[in-house]
Amino acid sequence: MFRKIKKRLRLGNQQDNIDTIYTGIDEPLPRNIERVKERLNEIFSECSDYIQREIVCGEDGCIRILVSYIEGLVDRSILNQDVVRPILDYFSSVEAQDKAKRVYQLIKERVISNNEVEEVQSMQQVVYKIVSGDAVLFVDGSKSALVVGVKAPQGRQVEEPDTEVSIRGPREGFVENLATNMVLIRKRIKTPNLKFEMMQLGIQTKTDICICYIKGIANEEIVKEVRKRVKKIRGDAILDTGYIEQYITDNRLTLFPIVGNSEKCDKLVAKLLEGRVAILCDGTPYVITVPHLFIESIQTSDDYYDHAFFASFMRVLRFLALLISNLLPAMYVALVSFHHTVIPFKLIITLAASRQGIPFSPFVEALLMLAAFELLREAGVRMPRTIGQALSIVGAIVLGEASVRAGIASNLMVIIIAITAICSFVVPPLIRATMLLRFVFLIAANFLGFLGISFVAVAVIIHLCRLRSFGIPYMAPFSPLTATDLKDSIIMVPIWAMITRPKILFQEDTRGTVGIKRREVNKIGEG
Amino acid sequence: MEKARISSLQLFLLITGFLFGSTLILNPATGAKNDGWLAILISGAGGTLLLAVYASIALLNPSKTLVEILRHRFGRVIGNIIAVLYIWYFIHLASLALRNFGSFIVTTTYPKTPLEVIVGIFVLVVMYAVNSGVEVIGRASEILVPFVPVIAVIISLGILTVHDFTAFLPVLENGISPVIKASLNLLTFPFGETIVFLMIFPHLNKRENLKKVSTLSALSATGLFLFIFFRDITVLGSHLIYQATFVPHLTSVLIPGINLEPLFNVNLIIGGSIKVVICMYAAVNGLDQLIGANDYRKFTTAVATFCVVLSIWVYENIFEMFDWAENIWLYYSIPFQIVIPLMLLFLSLIKKGNPAHEKSIE
Repeated sequence: MFRKIKKRLRLGNQQDNIDTIYTGIDEPLPRNIERVKERLNEIFSECSDYIQREIVCGEDGCIRILVSYIEGLVDRSILNQDVVRPILDYFSSVEAQDKAKRVYQLIKERVISNNEVEEVQSMQQVVYKIVSGDAVLFVDGSKSALVVGVKAPQGRQVEEPDTEVSIRGPREGFVENLATNMVLIRKRIKTPNLKFEMMQLGIQTKTDICICYIKGIANEEIVKEVRKRVKKIRGDAILDTGYIEQYITDNRLTLFPIVGNSEKCDKLVAKLLEGRVAILCDGTPYVITVPHLFIESIQTSDDYYDHAFFASFMRVLRFLALLISNLLPAMYVALVSFHHTVIPFKLIITLAASRQGIPFSPFVEALLMLAAFELLREAGVRMPRTIGQALSIVGAIVLGEASVRAGIASNLMVIIIAITAICSFVVPPLIRATMLLRFVFLIAANFLGFLGISFVAVAVIIHLCRLRSFGIPYMAPFSPLTATDLKDSIIMVPIWAMITRPKILFQEDTRGTVGIKRREVNKIGEG
Repeated sequence: MEKARISSLQLFLLITGFLFGSTLILNPATGAKNDGWLAILISGAGGTLLLAVYASIALLNPSKTLVEILRHRFGRVIGNIIAVLYIWYFIHLASLALRNFGSFIVTTTYPKTPLEVIVGIFVLVVMYAVNSGVEVIGRASEILVPFVPVIAVIISLGILTVHDFTAFLPVLENGISPVIKASLNLLTFPFGETIVFLMIFPHLNKRENLKKVSTLSALSATGLFLFIFFRDITVLGSHLIYQATFVPHLTSVLIPGINLEPLFNVNLIIGGSIKVVICMYAAVNGLDQLIGANDYRKFTTAVATFCVVLSIWVYENIFEMFDWAENIWLYYSIPFQIVIPLMLLFLSLIKKGNPAHEKSIE
């Protein structure tokens, strides 16, 4: 089934040429300014935000200059100050020059007081520059145009990200503007080895994408692989790094995150320094990192700023929370419906008392409560922040208290779902994976008790061992066991004892395994 | 052959996991009653030797699997015939392990669930592992196999209060012959079954470690067997150990105050799945190399289905299973586990010093 869908997707992709929207205007610039004006008006017909301004100066108006830009994308005061005013000033005082070539050179070299000046020759490039927020200058009689970078600063200020809160450490988070994000990274890593490779993706959106890594620290093979996979992306739009993530992942049919994402600058910089590769995308504060391993999900940036003892303890707790949020409802159902003998005698009396008069089987009860919890969670995410409090009251009191009073759910089940819910928020990157796995475990427990849970657990472990992120085994450093990398796993050593970078990112056979994966990725791409 | 590589640690864990496999359910040294530890020691020594023989065969025929070695050493026709027999043997082994596992679950915990359901679901997990390739099997073993000794220790600690430390005395109460018989049984099940690893040895990334790894794993498996035996005998006593069907399970049920049966099931699934996975992996790879199909995954579903049917059909009931394991398995296995490997070793040693001959065959 998936193969068919893939095939259809692939066919759809091939029919689109990357430059569909630009093919109609693949032509050199006309020399005559009237013709340029006409053509641009044709291309930007019905674009009310497109602005053209003609400047006529010199004696008897022999110098004609056209300025084109998009309203709002360009900072108008800078444009006036750097371009329009100097031109008017210069050519009103200087004797008339009848050679257009000379005027063009003068403007480029002497008149414009902006640092960012570029020359373009084709209509295609001109249109691209205009829509990406630059101003374009045409001089009558010249066959090239001047692009002046007068982009207005866009978007919000740098602030603390909502999704990743830390108690200690830098609070700066990424913003939607790519240039600002690049500055945020460069500010922290002051070396020319920090590389930013730019490219444009998306047939319609032409979104700026930036591959970021530290040369000499990042594994060259992985960088090459990232470049290759990113270049293969074909799609109308890239609105978020989530799009890229889905295109470049090794395994497209997995619940687990094998590409990491973050909004926090310090976290991203730490990952770059470990030898990972980041991909930034204009228009989103989320930056993705590869390779992303399982262990990264239970690491937080706070761990490294705090004492290693506490950090290790927190990591053990997080790992336990992960297990509990996956297994607890399933364990309860298995115990109550299959393995009464395992429960100690005193507890079984309490249990029986609490289940007395409940009309549903433990499985149905757990399913209902879990569904209610997931609904509450989703509602909490979607609705306006101001009514959040009301919802939590409704959720906690009405659903919890009233359902027990009404005899629909047992007290113990409410406690179990509550613990599961709390634990599920402890490891944010795995929330979605655990959400689904919890139901799978629950169903398995209902059919075969602990045996069913064990079956599913073994299958999940095999699946985890099967996963690779850019050729690196997902479960490293546990399997394959990488002794030196265990220093930063569940038990963490102090920061002064972490003297080597993650070795697994540079494993000897990376080349081989990346090669294997590459072939598989090709296969996916080719159907 | 798959171009996958596994590390020495992974191979070590695979062999030990394989050796624990069904032994966690059935205690084959029960025939010797309280002299079982002697049988375990003897068969441990023999098993280490056997594994050394298999390792030497692999080392003398570098980067060749069992099927390729057989063809190379016995010639195309005879080699293919023996290879077919071996593939049958691996499939049979997988089905027997499946049946052991299924019978245990049905007898102890799920008396109302049909055997077919349990074996069928188990095989789904096994198929997923086999299709993932030997690299993934190796990596999964790194996470799963350490559970086995840990759980064994947990159960032993739980039962510490009911020990009778003199239970294994007197030594050799019934003479030496039951001990010899039991140790022969133990040698063919599980030690001799490691012949399947001749299909996996070529994947080892550091070939020079092969002998060390196989010897170490045989020794540590013997160690754990001894440990489990002493635990069981001191808890159950020689009569109960002789009569009980699933000895280690009975021990774990005896823990005072709490029932750790589910923990035991987890242990079992890990051990059992590793054993079945390796047998099935060896069988489908052997088939693949025999036919030259280039992708063993094509055979997995067929072989797995066949194993399920065979495992249900092979015994009428659980008593037949025990009877077979005790009295017939030994003679059925000796050609596969001892005779042919020794012949292979002999042939490999003879032709080793004769490079001209090697060339003419290739």
